[in-house]
Order: sequence, then C-alpha cells, then structure tokens
Amino acid sequence: MDRRNLLTVAAAAALGVSLAASAGIAPAAAQARKVLVVASNQDVPNLDPHVATGYSASAFMRNLYDSLVRVEGNPVKVVPHLAQSWTVSPDGMEYTFKLDPGAKFTDGSPVDANAVVYSFQRLLRLNKGNSWMVAGTLDQSSVSAADAQTVKIKLVKPFAAFLQVLPWLWVVNPKEVEANKGADDAQAWLAKNVAGSGAFKLKRYEPGTLYEFEKVAAPWKSGGGNLTGAIWRIIRETSNQRLALQRGEAHIAVDLTAEDMDQLKDKPGVVSIIEPEFRTFSMKMNTEYGPLADINLRKAISYAFNYKAMEESSSYQQLMVGPLPNGIFGHDPNLAVPRMDLDKAKEFLAKSKYPNGGVKLTFVHVSGLEQVRRFGLVLLDSLKKLNIDLDIKAMVWPDMVASTASPDKVADFFTVYQTGNYGDPDNIAFAAYHSSRNGNWQNPVYKSKVVDDLIMKGRAEPDEAKRKEIYLQFQKQVVEDAPDIFGVLEKRKLALRSDVSGLVFTPVASNAIEFFPLSLK
Amino acid sequence: MLRYTLRRIVLLIPVLVGLSLLVFTISHLLPGDPVKLAAGPQATQADIDSLARELGMDKPLPVQYWNYATGLVRGDWGQSVLTRRPVWDDLKVFLPATLELVFAALAFAVIVGIPAGLLSGVYANRWPDYLSRVVSLGAISMPRFFLGLILQLVFAMALGWLPLGGRFPIIDEPPPALTGFLTIDALAAGQFGAFWVALQHLAMPAIAMSLSPLATITRMMRASTIEVLQQDYVLTERALGLSQKLIVFKYVLKNAMTSSLTVIGLYVGWLLGGTVLVETVFDWPGIGLYATKAIVSQDFMPVMGVTLAIGTIFILSNLVVDLLYGLLNPKVRYE
Repeated sequence: MDRRNLLTVAAAAALGVSLAASAGIAPAAAQARKVLVVASNQDVPNLDPHVATGYSASAFMRNLYDSLVRVEGNPVKVVPHLAQSWTVSPDGMEYTFKLDPGAKFTDGSPVDANAVVYSFQRLLRLNKGNSWMVAGTLDQSSVSAADAQTVKIKLVKPFAAFLQVLPWLWVVNPKEVEANKGADDAQAWLAKNVAGSGAFKLKRYEPGTLYEFEKVAAPWKSGGGNLTGAIWRIIRETSNQRLALQRGEAHIAVDLTAEDMDQLKDKPGVVSIIEPEFRTFSMKMNTEYGPLADINLRKAISYAFNYKAMEESSSYQQLMVGPLPNGIFGHDPNLAVPRMDLDKAKEFLAKSKYPNGGVKLTFVHVSGLEQVRRFGLVLLDSLKKLNIDLDIKAMVWPDMVASTASPDKVADFFTVYQTGNYGDPDNIAFAAYHSSRNGNWQNPVYKSKVVDDLIMKGRAEPDEAKRKEIYLQFQKQVVEDAPDIFGVLEKRKLALRSDVSGLVFTPVASNAIEFFPLSLK
Repeated sequence: MLRYTLRRIVLLIPVLVGLSLLVFTISHLLPGDPVKLAAGPQATQADIDSLARELGMDKPLPVQYWNYATGLVRGDWGQSVLTRRPVWDDLKVFLPATLELVFAALAFAVIVGIPAGLLSGVYANRWPDYLSRVVSLGAISMPRFFLGLILQLVFAMALGWLPLGGRFPIIDEPPPALTGFLTIDALAAGQFGAFWVALQHLAMPAIAMSLSPLATITRMMRASTIEVLQQDYVLTERALGLSQKLIVFKYVLKNAMTSSLTVIGLYVGWLLGGTVLVETVFDWPGIGLYATKAIVSQDFMPVMGVTLAIGTIFILSNLVVDLLYGLLNPKVRYE
C-alpha cells in the first residue's frame, strides 16, 4: 500500500463511524394511541402518597390516587370526588362526608369509610409528606367511620381552610398496603408501587427518564377524556422541553421560562397558557438582627425600592399588593403598600439610627436563579440613593436553609419564592408570617403577637365575611410592620399542543397535570 | 500476571477506604443541613430530630462513618435523605447509562483519533497533518455542551435524522434489561431494530463527549508516531525494503499506541466525572445529573456512592490499561 492508499483507508475508517446513523426518526406514535406526553424537569423518586412532596408528586397522586374532594376552576372551587357530598357543623369543627358508593380501588375493592380512616391514620402516623397540612388539626382519633359510606372528621382545633387541604390527602387501599406492610408501614413498597383508586395506574417506572401511566379498564369516575395513557417524561433543560413541544414529541411542557414563552409565540400548533398563580416572591428583611431590626430603616428601604424596575425586569409577572397573593380569598387589591417615593424614604431614613445611610447590607439568593439576582441589582441601585451599600451573594439552597437557624445567621435580605399549596390565605399567612415558623426558610425571623393572633383567628373563623375582615386587618398590620419587600407574583407558564383539549387552568398546582379530563385529537 | 492483577485488586481496598474517608469528611464539613432540608419547611425541631435519628445522622461522625463502611461490606450503600431511595437502587439505574455513554464516546475517540493521529504523524507537516491538527485544536477548544446544542439543532431540528435526546423512544418498550447498556441488551435479545434505535440515540451525546479525548488521542498519537518513525529499527526496516504498509501497521502503530493507551485509561475517570453537561443537554438519565443534584442538596449518601463507584471504575480501567501494555509490548513484565 502506498501513501495514497493508506490515506484513503484511514480516512474511510474515520468517516465510516463518524456518522453511520442517518435514517429518519419517526416522531413518537403517542398521538395515534392517545397517549399524552408531559415534559417536566422534576423526577418523582418516591411514589408513597403519604411521603412524597413536590409538584410532580402531586401530579402523580392526582392521577393514581383519589382524595375526598378536589379543586377545579378559576377561581378555585372545592368539588366532590370520593365524597359525593358533605356537611359541616355550625361551629366548623365536625365534617361528615358521604362517599360515592361506586368508588373502587384498581383491584376492584370498594373505597369505603374504613379505607379513608386507615389512610388518614397512616398519614398522621408517618408524619411526612403533606401531613403538615393537618398537623395540630387532626389526631389519630379524629377520623372515624360512621358506616361503610360515611366518614366523620372531628377537628382538634378549628381550621377554616380544612376543605382546601383535603384535595392533597390521598386515600390508599388498606388491603394492599397491609399485605405489604413490612417493618416500615409499607413505605418501601409504596415508594415503588401503587395502591390507589385513580383513573390511571403505573405501567412503566424508569426513574430519571420517564413514568408511563395506563388508564384503568373501567374507571369508577364517569366522563373524562379519550386518553388511553400518559407519559411523564423527564426533560431537564427547559429549552429542550420547548423543542420537544415544537416537534410534537411532547404535548404539554410545564417548566418553561419567559424566554421559552417568547420563542413559542406564533409557533404553529402550540398554545400558551400564561396565568397568575399563587406563587409569591418576596425579600424578607431581618427584623431581629442587624441594621434592619430598625423599622424605620426597613420602611425607608421599602419606599426607596424601584418596584417598576423590578416588574419590568421580566415579563410574565405582576407586582404583589401586600403579603397575600393577588386574587386569593381575602386579598385587598386597594391595600396601601409602599411604592417608590424617595422623599418618604428619606423621611424614614432620617428617623432611623442611620440617618445618613452608610451601612452595608447583604442580599442572598439561590445560586443559579438569574431572575432573583436581577431583583438584587434593582435593590442595589435603589439603595444607592440612601447611601446604603448592598452585597449580593449566591448560596446553594441547603446553606440558605441552614442559615435560618438563628437570626444572627440570617442575611439582611433573605429572598424566597413560595408556592401556594392550597387556595386559601391561611396557607401563605401562616407559613410566611406566623412566629411559630421562625427558624424556617419560609419565615426566618419575623414575629408579631398581633399578626399571630390574626392568623389564628382567621384559621378558626367559619363565617366567610368575618374571616375576610380578619385577613384585611392582617394585611394592613403586616404592611405596617414592613418585614418584607413585597415582590412579584410569578405567572404560571404552560404550553401545550393545540390538539390537547379539556385543560382548564386552576391557580393551585396547575403544573401538576390531571390526565383524566384531557383528550387528544 | 495473575498475581500482579490480584495484588492490584487488593490494593483497591485501601484506596477506596481513603477515598470514602476523604469524601465523607469533606461532605460533613459543609455548612448546610440536609436533614432540615429533607424534613420540609413545615417540620418542627422534633420532626427534624426524629428524621436524623431514623437516618442515623444524630450519631457522632466516626460512628456514622463506621456504620456506612460496615454497611458497604454488607452491600448497603445507604439511603438518600431527600428521596429516601436506597443509593444502590439508583446506581443500578443511572451508572450503566453513563458507562454506555462514556464507552461509546471513548470508542469513537479511539476509532477516529488513532488513525487520525497516525496519519498526522506519517504525513507530518503536510496537509493531512494540518487538517488533523486544526480539527483537534478546534475539538479541544469547543465546550461539550455547546457542540451538543449545535448537533441537536442540525441533526435533530433541521435535518430530523436523529432524536433530540433520551436513550430510547419513550413510547416503545426498551429491550429486556441485562447489562443496562441498551445497545448490548438489544443485541442480546436479538432486537436489531431496537439496537439501531438505541445507537441513534447514543450518537450525538457520545460524539459531543468524545471531542476532548479524541483531540488528545490524536495529538498523542501524532507525537509518538513521529518519534517512533525516527527510531533506528524503522530505518533498518526501510533499509531492508519493507513496505510502508507493513512498517506503519505492524511496527509503528503498536509502538506508538502505548502512550495513547495511558491517556485512554485516564480519560475513563475524567469522562465519568464530567458527564453532567452532556447529560443535561441530551436528557441522558446518567450518574452525572444524579450526583450533581445530590451535591447541590448536600445529600451525602448518593455523593459517597457515586464517588466510590467512579473511583472503583477508574482504578479498574487503569488496571486494564496496564495489562494491555503487555499485549502491545512484550517487553513489559508484571512483577
């Protein structure tokens, strides 16, 4: 072989392997089989309905299990599910649920009152997952079976939002759970297996890749769409979710960014849903330690902050008006909240211990959250006008959580997003402003006896009008205390193929897609 | 040779003990509180304490390490604090996916890089050499994730030849799991269609991953080819009138490959530890993403598990490379 031959052989060897694959890839045949594909970046490593948390877990539970009631519509409504109807005692302390006699688990056994009692007891016993929603409200003897179709729930403490949390407390099949109980209350078994009554069952379980659902042969619920199955596909990059949607490889993408939504505008076959949801962003100030323990300095900053610049730093968000999400029950859209007013800011600064500024404050955010860093830059720019310096620090989430252990470790500005777990003001009010939550990332330091009392009164009041009045007072008081710079409500950004029908937006857990009502053309 | 291999395998134990001790210490020195994080925002201090007890994380560090190490001997790799899944179950799922990707990338790098480097050496300072040097310099300079995105845009979006990401079409059942390598499992099950599809999914991420080793192998191969070509025995072979083909393929290639082999061994570890970007771009359900998520949330057990698994594979791959030296060069003795 001469040099030319050698060259040819080597080049052929190199090129031969470099791109052997050139056959066309047929798009997934999901459409014809009426299998819905949802692209999400969140894995669900644990399927136990009394342990798992996160929006993807909520999506799974919604489809694999059932709860006494469910939420739907916008504004959010609580509607019957396993319970056909219910009554509440006048003092709001006792609930009686009549179960749907047709409800059955996927193994054919009926969903009776005993199953409901068993499920609530297991949830409270494990004290994991969503059990916090009823912690202190229910105990082991609260839920009882009056007869096979009647469940009685006696609250230990009044809780006006009780019906709002019920959609997230799932009923398991006691027969199957008991058969696999083991030494850990069936936690290991339920982490990978399903014992529910949902319209779907799990067909394939491939952590990190996909989860395939198959519709049960005869769901006990009537109606519903034409899906025969669904696939929860893990696509980590949001831009890849967008591309998969454009190519028709996914029917719904649930984690898209503002940039993705911009790119999807006017794309054929794609429908965008951009709706306000109960997801708040606020900059919590350290009311207990450091310069911001001074209420006048906090107020000066609240008035110096450029809210307009914050709102304009990204599309698909709206400014919050006070501590509660806009649109939720009891929210006051006319609340007098601080807006940029430098004269007022300087007035408050003059009254503070730092009349000439000259302090350096720290602002922490989760590393990688570019949008929050931008908010930090807006704050940095605003504070310059008060001669206050700002140090913007990125931290990994566990370090931020660990820093909430005591006020001296919490940064001056602790930034946090909070998603409403249920559509009631109690959710955000209690988690973000009650002093029992101090030392926790949702409310690291702020405490006020007046606010605590209002939150507990709001929780206990069964009368709607009176309850609304309590939340109006609560909002005024929190604004007066200025513990936070009330930031923005992030709009939910969903995109779906135009051949998906039946999706009705609900501002609670809207990315936890429920498959049952959906259809594919 | 057998004694040498056994001795090397025994030596693995102190290395792994040292490695696990190091990772254990570093991960526990970090300031975060993974138990508090896992217990959730609504947890009371009592809930956090009870979870720490359940996970054995309330004990002194030396006791925790001892429990971990003795657990490993029994085959218990610990449990993730966040997902509550056993680490071994996760490794069984994610490790084969990454290994398949890494081996495919290395195979591509070797199959392309060795001939390219050989050509470059044989035709030093002529156009095949210039071409290969420009390509390898470009390859080593380009970030892997960027190439990945470009490949996706060209081959998946514009031409539609290859899938955007993933290991297998989501709607189809993958071949029965045997090794966890989809290509091998498909062949073992006689499903040639599935093999072809799995290969199509593997192509883009493997090529994106292979760039750096490909460039290094090409450069190493070029340098050693030039060096070997200047040896006296090559001159003698030429003087004896042996053909160029015989000289290059029988004598030069084997002798020049030794140094590339060392690089290949080192790259196994390098690639295993650096898959996360390619895995993210191509949704490859591998160990890189798993480890990154665990590191960010300071979930110690998966971090330890991944480190030990990668450490073991790295050491074993270097052992294989050391043994291969003997095949290439009979002068190598194992003592």
